[in-house]
Amino acid sequence: MKTSMSKLAAGAGLTAALMTAGPAAAEIRIGIAGPVTGPVAQYGDMQFSGARMAIERINANGGVMGEELVAVEQDDACDPKQAVTVANNMVNEGVRFVVGHLCSSSMQPASDIYEDEGILAVTPAATNPAITERGYELIFRTIGLDSMQGPAAADYIIDQKPDRVAVVHDKQQYGEGIASAVRDNLKDAGINVVMYEGITAGQKDFSSLVTKLKQANVDFVYYGGYHPELGLILRQADQAGLDAQFMGPEGVGNEGITNIAGEAAEGLLVTLPPSFDEQEENQALVKAFEEKGEDPSGPFVLTSYAAVEVIAEGIRQAESEDPFEVSEALRQGTFGTPIGDISFDQKGDLESFDFVVYEWHSDNSKTPVE
Amino acid sequence: MFDEFYFLQQLINGLTVGSAYALIAIGYTMVYGIIGMINFAHGEIYMIGAYTSLIVITGLAALNPVWLPLVLLVALICAMIVSSSMGWAVERVAYRPVRGQHRLIPLISAIGMSIFLQNYVHLAQGSRNIGFPSLIDGGFTFGTSEGFQTTISNMQLTIFATTLVCMTLLSLFISRSKTGRACRAVSQDRKMSSLLGIDTNRIIAATFVIGAALAAVAGLLLGMYYGSIDPLFGFIAGLKAFTAAVLGGIGSIPGAMLGGLILGVAESFTAGYLSSEYKDVVSFSLLILILLFRPTGLLGKPEVEKI
Repeated sequence: MKTSMSKLAAGAGLTAALMTAGPAAAEIRIGIAGPVTGPVAQYGDMQFSGARMAIERINANGGVMGEELVAVEQDDACDPKQAVTVANNMVNEGVRFVVGHLCSSSMQPASDIYEDEGILAVTPAATNPAITERGYELIFRTIGLDSMQGPAAADYIIDQKPDRVAVVHDKQQYGEGIASAVRDNLKDAGINVVMYEGITAGQKDFSSLVTKLKQANVDFVYYGGYHPELGLILRQADQAGLDAQFMGPEGVGNEGITNIAGEAAEGLLVTLPPSFDEQEENQALVKAFEEKGEDPSGPFVLTSYAAVEVIAEGIRQAESEDPFEVSEALRQGTFGTPIGDISFDQKGDLESFDFVVYEWHSDNSKTPVE
Repeated sequence: MFDEFYFLQQLINGLTVGSAYALIAIGYTMVYGIIGMINFAHGEIYMIGAYTSLIVITGLAALNPVWLPLVLLVALICAMIVSSSMGWAVERVAYRPVRGQHRLIPLISAIGMSIFLQNYVHLAQGSRNIGFPSLIDGGFTFGTSEGFQTTISNMQLTIFATTLVCMTLLSLFISRSKTGRACRAVSQDRKMSSLLGIDTNRIIAATFVIGAALAAVAGLLLGMYYGSIDPLFGFIAGLKAFTAAVLGGIGSIPGAMLGGLILGVAESFTAGYLSSEYKDVVSFSLLILILLFRPTGLLGKPEVEKI
């Protein structure tokens, strides 16, 4: 009994020694939490490759305040339960800065733990507005919010000055949220919104809706929702000879829309995050990715890269590794990243994140609209 | 503000979908009429009909076919054959072995069958929406008021015409043919007709097969009309057709036709004059009202309780 106690004490001493030895070896541990397995693992690949690249390049340039960044990678499978385990592991690993999580539903529960344990987390992908609405000090994101997309679309529509606009949505949180934001912005700008109507997701017959749109004589239709329904609306509207410009959010901008609507998808307007990898100033970085055999074009690669950069720069500006001081620095500064010069508001959201209006083509390509 | 052309257009939209509902509803009503049970796997048979015809059309398109009606006819026949065999198999696997049992048992085995078929198509074809090529384009415009034209598309005309032909053939079959007469006899009294030398097993299988063939026709027509199909779309259509069958009086074939048309038109007018949001609310409220005030449905005969 006595021996085991002394062993335990020795063990505890060793652990304590190791823990103090950690920072002494001059390293800053950056947690990367995202799905390595599960249904959205391909998005996780983007996150990991972007964050790893940023860590590599920062270390090659001498690290942060003479210390090296070390990645601690954990798989949350985009599962809220596993995300909680991952967050606790990060605490046990002594991580004080996390890039993640990817999914809003994982970020939500994990952020509670990070905030309580004094860990600063920057999500490169979670867009649900609720995540930053709880007054947390340590939670940031390098991606836009669902609620920014509606105003972006509305700005475009206002510029076009359509005579009669219809706003249609699928009654789900995402679609109706964006659609109501578009409607409110349009009304404030004095645009004539003649119709605001919900449909049921999964429904297939939109002939009555199309007839109604035709009778209301609309020349612009905004749809909040996903591609299966909009694809059918486009197609049935085309067949009924409805002559109106259609527009939708990110959720409709994928190959599925062309698969369903075919030729009718030509000319559809979609708001999407800009393709950062095509921008002039990022070409050196894009080349670095290509040399490693990785693809920088995914939507979350460069936002993850930016998340690591922002953490590193925050540490430099705060001249401290204390997450609370770093979070203060993040709220004050402006940071040059591959996704542009970014600054954060009090909630930890980006001050601005541009959504770009693209025109969709029936061969699944898209061109930006001026 | 009443615009008769708008009204007419919504009526046409409603009748189109309604006649397809009627085609599916026939399957429910015939099976109920003969064995007094609801075939819950019927919506899936319809979905499989749509998938089969899409596969055949895509396959034939690759061969660069010459004549469109021929392609459609081949697709229709293949879909009817596949769906009919499915209908036959459902009866054989999920109904016949448990026919003598308590009446809840076949009900549950049919629900199991429905889940199985849905997931089978999920696995075999993927769960995404698949676009259906629009093969029948164009239409007629008749009647124009300020800024609004009533049009009836060739696709809608095809649906009306096909439904009409199917319904006529079915009525003739039931009233004139030997098997049709046997069907009517079995639905009146199964035990007596079997004593009189009618092979009831064969007749019951035949009703499943006929219902499935009509569902396959609806699958091809609605797949083309809507423009996309997915493994779950049989569920909603099945529910609507079941409502139509109950509305018209379950067990009655003219009732199923009437119920389908009423339901389609009710949905279309709700979406047209109220809001698309209330479409399902109205159609299912209609069902509840009918069940409250006329439990046998519009054309159903009050009879001895079967289920």
